[in-house]
Amino acid sequence: MELDEFKDILNQQLATDHLYRSEADIAALLRKKAHSIIVKIKKSLWFEIFSCIVIMLLFGYLGLSSKYSSMNIYFSAFTLVFVPFTIILFYLLKKINRLNTNSLSVKNNLQSIVSILEEFMKRYFQFTMVLIPICFVFAFFLGYTEKQPIEPIDQIILKYKPSYSFITIFTFVYMTSLTVGIYYFTKWYLKKLYGNYVNELKIYINELKETE
Amino acid sequence: MSVEIEFIGLLKEHQKIIYKVCNLYMQSHADKDDLFQEITLQAWKAYANFRGDSKFSTWLYRVALNTAITFYRKEKKNIVFNVETVPELSENIIDHVEEKTKAMYSAIGELSKIDKAIVMLYLEDYTYTQISEIIGITPNNIAVKMNRIKIKLKEQTKKYYTTH
Repeated sequence: MELDEFKDILNQQLATDHLYRSEADIAALLRKKAHSIIVKIKKSLWFEIFSCIVIMLLFGYLGLSSKYSSMNIYFSAFTLVFVPFTIILFYLLKKINRLNTNSLSVKNNLQSIVSILEEFMKRYFQFTMVLIPICFVFAFFLGYTEKQPIEPIDQIILKYKPSYSFITIFTFVYMTSLTVGIYYFTKWYLKKLYGNYVNELKIYINELKETE
Repeated sequence: MSVEIEFIGLLKEHQKIIYKVCNLYMQSHADKDDLFQEITLQAWKAYANFRGDSKFSTWLYRVALNTAITFYRKEKKNIVFNVETVPELSENIIDHVEEKTKAMYSAIGELSKIDKAIVMLYLEDYTYTQISEIIGITPNNIAVKMNRIKIKLKEQTKKYYTTH
């Protein structure tokens, strides 16, 4: 059976639908919300920008108001790390807003979406990984060098009297397992969120490159 | 407002293009309605950049195919084409033709999203050069792909007759 034999019939069949949309129906559709991946990323970016601003304000306040010098440095450092990340998020949002991929060819559209998604995932991953040394190494170092006594920690030390080797091993195991856990969790989360979709789009791009 | 009225008029006139894309990429009425809505919204958003360099129908095909191919769904549904959902043919088409058409329709349903796009434009009598502009690969590559698709469709329709 040849495809050409069925051109007219298939065209006729495909051009039918269970609904006929009037002008009023189309006008009503224009008031609805789009659900494309670009819209989804924009929503994510706005949510992350909002969260970053809230965190910067909160951590900035804690950094300035805490009585412990370690806390001042710790929260101020966090606030500073969030500044470039917020700028990167704004840059990505601007880039996406300028993007009008639907008028591009199918191949270029796929490549643009994949490139945006990969950049978003890369930045997200980098940022999460950057937070690990700040969270753990910096926190332990600051806690260790704090001049003011930190009562809750002092109470634990007085109660359990842990040996120096126990503290070293515990710290090492705790930091390693959390780092490895966060690394794999972030990888898994990003794959679940966008990774599988990106892989699907890459298959289509490769399919288009196959004959080149 | 006049731009909106102009767009609505053009879309109403060319809505069969969207039906074709929805029928080819989706199976249930609900999914087709979702895709119709998404294509309409994406076309409306992109309409500001439509300068009339190409026909509105060609531009709409481009937007519709881009939207259908990259359509994002939270729940991953495996779309299996079922011949029972093939749109009804008009009554004057005799039975054996209907059966053959169902076989061909089912075979097209088994193609990849990219191959479906090429078939749709081919059925619309677009030249390989026009198809290449929409898809983004050279006309020669479109010709190569089209030959492969025709072979695939032949094999798939044969399979259809052995299982029905």
